[in-house]
Amino acid sequence: MGVREQKLRTDRLVFYRTDVTKLEGELDGFLELSSARSALLIDREGHLVTKRGEVQQHSLDSISALVAGSFAATREMARLLGEEEFSTLYHQGQRDSIQVSLVGDRALFAVVFDERTNLGMVRYYATETTRRLDVVLTEVAERPEGEGEEKLASDFGSSATAALDKLF
Amino acid sequence: MVQINFAQKQVNAKVVYYGPGMSGKTTNLEIVHQRAPTGNRGDLTSISTDGDRTLFFDFMPLDLGTVAGMRTCFQIYTVPGQVYYNSTRKLVLQGVDGVVFVADSSAAMVEENLESLRNLEQNLNEYGKSLATVPHVIQFNKRDLPDAMSLDELNRLLNPHNAPFFEAIANTGQGVFPTLKALAARVLESIHQSGSRAGSPQPAAPIPAQAAAPIAMAAPVAAQAAGQGAYYSATPSASPQAVAAAQRALQQTGFHGAVQAPGRPGSMPPPLALPAQPIAMSHGAPEMARTTVHAPPPVGHGGPVGHGGHAPHAAPAQHVQPPAANHAAASLRMAPQAPVLQHGAPQLGRPDANAARRAPAPAAAAHPNARPAAKPEARPQAAHRPAPAPAPAPAPAAPAPVRRGSKAWLYASIFVVVALGIGVVVAKTVLKVF
Repeated sequence: MGVREQKLRTDRLVFYRTDVTKLEGELDGFLELSSARSALLIDREGHLVTKRGEVQQHSLDSISALVAGSFAATREMARLLGEEEFSTLYHQGQRDSIQVSLVGDRALFAVVFDERTNLGMVRYYATETTRRLDVVLTEVAERPEGEGEEKLASDFGSSATAALDKLF
Repeated sequence: MVQINFAQKQVNAKVVYYGPGMSGKTTNLEIVHQRAPTGNRGDLTSISTDGDRTLFFDFMPLDLGTVAGMRTCFQIYTVPGQVYYNSTRKLVLQGVDGVVFVADSSAAMVEENLESLRNLEQNLNEYGKSLATVPHVIQFNKRDLPDAMSLDELNRLLNPHNAPFFEAIANTGQGVFPTLKALAARVLESIHQSGSRAGSPQPAAPIPAQAAAPIAMAAPVAAQAAGQGAYYSATPSASPQAVAAAQRALQQTGFHGAVQAPGRPGSMPPPLALPAQPIAMSHGAPEMARTTVHAPPPVGHGGPVGHGGHAPHAAPAQHVQPPAANHAAASLRMAPQAPVLQHGAPQLGRPDANAARRAPAPAAAAHPNARPAAKPEARPQAAHRPAPAPAPAPAPAAPAPVRRGSKAWLYASIFVVVALGIGVVVAKTVLKVF
């Protein structure tokens, strides 16, 4: 296991504004070129990083978790079949379809598209976009924590306790 | 793995309910879903069998609200408890930030509890984590069962790291929220502590998969019971037979120090290595027989898996066929030009700088976050789609066609001569007749 992978496994993932701006720029470019409906960037634990396009906000958490779970299962299947991993996953629906691509070690790039485009276009542009997203995510993953411009507030712990008391 | 997103002002953490089959993990989640304020909870998603046994996971997002300016969300999962589903159980544990271990208090379930705890430790080890480092709490569920073991015994057997523990009767809701609240507090505290350590060297390297797993079943008992707020009053102690069975189970699995002195995290007894064989498969026959009724066929059966594996490749071809053939072909033809993903390239320092220079459109200077204006002439599909290829030019004259032409000409000549001859003969005959 490489140093980078060790870090990815043990660290937290911190995104600053500049990171997300870069990532969203890539997603916007992809949507423009591919005519897909929406593009989601999800980390492999199922947390949404960012999204662009037409997305229903209320179901995003569930979709992200299911995409990550589905991809994790596919990866395990690949391992059992002797493949390192299946880098792309595609589900075809009557109206909407979804393609999921692996972005480096860390994230998943999910594209929802309908009849306005087709799988060939989506796959072609997604390949290039995935490579570019990986460049940005690698910078994020390898950046030492605390170098960013923003930090958690010092009263996060006490505020968390108060929030929990309020909720439960 | 915690995700902190300063752009969205959001903190995401992953919490997993773990434990043996039928111990009440899904019930816990259902109660949280039923009773959490509507604005804080998301949809409860279950991937389960026809018999309502968890097949992959149950999932529910829970929004704790704004904490110090950051929207704090927990993604809560349960795992399938059956021994058979260890591979999917392990997948759900990936990137976990906190664990609730739901134990069945029944004396008859001691062995299943122990095995599940060992399996948890083993699966965490595979991700470079350990119960010693991952925030966790223990819930002793089904306290209303007549054969429920005492808290002392359960703690001695199932709480090796002196984690906070709670009694519960999950199907009535008792103990569900205190458990979750305690875990949430631990996870948030760990986020805060890690945040305040930002910039400092990272923790030690993860524990290797087969490294010593601290399953030392230390006994926190009295101090724990006093200090950790038991939610529900203790029930009668377990029978001596049950305790003896637990001891036997521990010894059978290679653990010989079950009831040694209490071990605080700072003074843990030497961790004991796990048995080398996969624990999950060690005695799962009855479980397998029970749980595979609705389960998908095993991988070894070939057909479905093999077919599924190829489906993604096969399907696109069919899907793309009629409308996509042109687009796909156009995409492929565009490849050498590489003009298409250029906007924003200068700002992002994309590695494909040469391609950027080849880009024809000045629209590349747009802000990376700005969605390009809809300019029909700039739409890459139209702008960069090559003109239809001209029809192939007629092939220049070549020796072979000439030869073929000569032959035809020869045949035609022969035909004409023969026809003329026949015509002449016929004409003479006719003239003779008349």
